[in-house]
Amino acid sequence: MVDLSCKLGRFYLQNPVMGASGTYGYNNEYGEFLDVSKLGAIVTKGITLEPREGNEGQRLFETASGIINRIGLENVGIDAFLKTKLPLIQKRNINYILNIAGSSIEDYTSLALVCNDNKIPAIEVNVSCPNVHKGCLEFGTEPQALFELICSIRRAYEGFLIVKLTPNVTEIEPLVQAVESAGADCISAINTLKGLGVDLSFDGVNFHKTFVQGGLSGKCIKPVALSLVNKIRAFTHLPIIGLGGIATMWDMLEFFAVGADALQVGTENFTHPSICASLVSDLEKFMQENNFETLDKLKEALRK
Amino acid sequence: MKKVLKGKVTGREQVTPEVFELRFSSELAEIIPGQFLSILCPPKTLRRPFGVAGFENGILRVLIRVKGEGTKYLASLKEGDEIDFLAPLGNNFSLENKKSLLVGAGIGTAPLLYLNCELKKRGIQTLLISGFKSEGEIVQGCDSVKVGGSILDEVQHYINEFKPEKIYSCGPEIVLKTLSQTGMDQNIDVEVAMEKHMACGIGVCRGCVIDVMRNGVKTKASVCVNGPVFKGSEVVW
Repeated sequence: MVDLSCKLGRFYLQNPVMGASGTYGYNNEYGEFLDVSKLGAIVTKGITLEPREGNEGQRLFETASGIINRIGLENVGIDAFLKTKLPLIQKRNINYILNIAGSSIEDYTSLALVCNDNKIPAIEVNVSCPNVHKGCLEFGTEPQALFELICSIRRAYEGFLIVKLTPNVTEIEPLVQAVESAGADCISAINTLKGLGVDLSFDGVNFHKTFVQGGLSGKCIKPVALSLVNKIRAFTHLPIIGLGGIATMWDMLEFFAVGADALQVGTENFTHPSICASLVSDLEKFMQENNFETLDKLKEALRK
Repeated sequence: MKKVLKGKVTGREQVTPEVFELRFSSELAEIIPGQFLSILCPPKTLRRPFGVAGFENGILRVLIRVKGEGTKYLASLKEGDEIDFLAPLGNNFSLENKKSLLVGAGIGTAPLLYLNCELKKRGIQTLLISGFKSEGEIVQGCDSVKVGGSILDEVQHYINEFKPEKIYSCGPEIVLKTLSQTGMDQNIDVEVAMEKHMACGIGVCRGCVIDVMRNGVKTKASVCVNGPVFKGSEVVW
């Protein structure tokens, strides 16, 4: 028997494979395809203070080796989550991280307080949302704004605090610095890349076009994610959750090699709904066959 | 229960210059007209959703129009090749015991062929009409076809002659929208099978939502799990 467990600071995972926010629903949506309680954790859809309807119009666009989405943070809101979604997570014994999003420090802080009051064990802060008070700059691209945001969340929330960084920046280090100084426990990287899909057709007379401006994810972003995780690892000792284009066990090993401590799988769940379970068993098999008794030993060998 | 299934291609037939029929085996005991499946099309990231044109003894029939890389992959499959699909997905047509007019357009005719077959098995009187851009695009199995122009131009004639109690439709949104309005104006139930860009096919990603009225409230419904079949009267067009 090999030990797949991993500890991100004080947050325990039975294995390093998690379903990424926005691709894993709220609780047991993949229950028909795998035993969700056997995963490291699931990260819920981004939850806001109030319910959100999300974007109108075309929400998806497929690219070479990826997809662009502009779902627009559609979610049931924190109250409905606690009332209607959380009980099933608890009943099924699913390890989870609640992803939170907002458009002001006040939104995020109120959410963090609710999470604290409800003893939510871990939250992941989506900082790729526009800060409406600061003229729609993203929190995640401005080190000072990010620092203030995370400080405020930290004061409100005692549980395990993860900040999900956006790759849409020139330099990641100042943001890592901001997050660490503000007292976050962990970093997840990366969120989606900004992208535009142009849906174009021609009827012989006129062109018809739809622009799908949103977040690019999937296999095509893996090199960007690896590059940023590598940079973040060189800069901080905080635990890192790596994500971006993971679809195979070897992808996971690549992320471990550049310094990730645990992993999230996103877009691939849409193609292969039982992929997370397959990745856990593939990893276990690989470790067994190659005599890596623990995940730490595997990571150590990968980082030599 | 939704499952990832593996089947083997048992046949492939060119139906029109652009459309071919793919037949493949499955372990499915049942799939109800209106339900769909989502086929893995490497190297594309997302599976491609298809309505079921026929189902007998576990053999599924789908009509595929070659459009891009994904459908080109499917067109390359030969007898005996493996096919990976997710099924059965979505809800189904209601198959009510009512005289039914089935209105298709182009490749949207596919799920109506299966619906027609199942309604007839139940002894329900049906009429399947469909519109195609040209002679070469006609899909066999319709009771009446319209070539060129719009099938919508023929609908009122068939409503007057056939006097349906129920209309089922699948095709471009403009056809579904117009028929839904016709149904409301003339007090005929209309069910439409919707199509949207889709990622997961199981209601997780919320990529394929449309607006519907439920209990007087406008809400977003996933085409993949709340549909693809909706009452024409509940869709906010």
